[in-house]
Amino acid sequence: MSEPNDEGKKQRAWKSLQDAGLVEIAMEEFPERISEAKRTVIGRLNELMQAQNRMEERQSLAHSLGALKNLETTLRSDVSSSRKK
Amino acid sequence: MNSSPLNVATAANWPPEIGQFVTFKSMDTLKTGYVKLVQWGLVWRDIVLEDGRVIPEHKIIGCPETPVGWRNAQDVSQEEREAAEERLVTMSQAGLDPRDREQAFWAELNQYLAYTYLRFKDTGVENKDIDAMQNLREGRR
Repeated sequence: MSEPNDEGKKQRAWKSLQDAGLVEIAMEEFPERISEAKRTVIGRLNELMQAQNRMEERQSLAHSLGALKNLETTLRSDVSSSRKK
Repeated sequence: MNSSPLNVATAANWPPEIGQFVTFKSMDTLKTGYVKLVQWGLVWRDIVLEDGRVIPEHKIIGCPETPVGWRNAQDVSQEEREAAEERLVTMSQAGLDPRDREQAFWAELNQYLAYTYLRFKDTGVENKDIDAMQNLREGRR
């Protein structure tokens, strides 16, 4: 059974995703969405670099950043090659 | 409660059962299929159809308007997140076409980006607040 606050949080999450256009992303928007996510991860990493701790979270963020960079490269080249066709 | 009787009934019957015939929105059209599997992603459930198509639960006709039992981003473990990232990278490097809607790559990528958004912008919980909560848990002030 979920708590009322928990349900409220989930409804806010749903609204937040709808407002951000992340419930269903159009294909042509994926590269930009990935870039946004990457910028957010970099921002958080920068915050942690000043904190001198939270190594586990830093490593986790570094992993996410690597995955996002990889996806960004693949999808950007994929979208641009499909536009040329 | 604000829920109408229809919403209550729908939420009580959610998610669909294996073998159930479902209708879902795809772009501007309606499509159908039989449920093979209901599986959790990083945020919401994905409905896998018998022919392999993967449909986010909120695209299925009859899904409650507000999410039922969605996961909190903070509840996703590091191992699970990294496994999802590995799968995405593998699929992209394998040359899967992410334009194929209703396929696993599209579904996972969409869900991962939604999760990443919630992970850092979790409905008004700022990073500083998360830090403060972490410090309290770790006994620091």
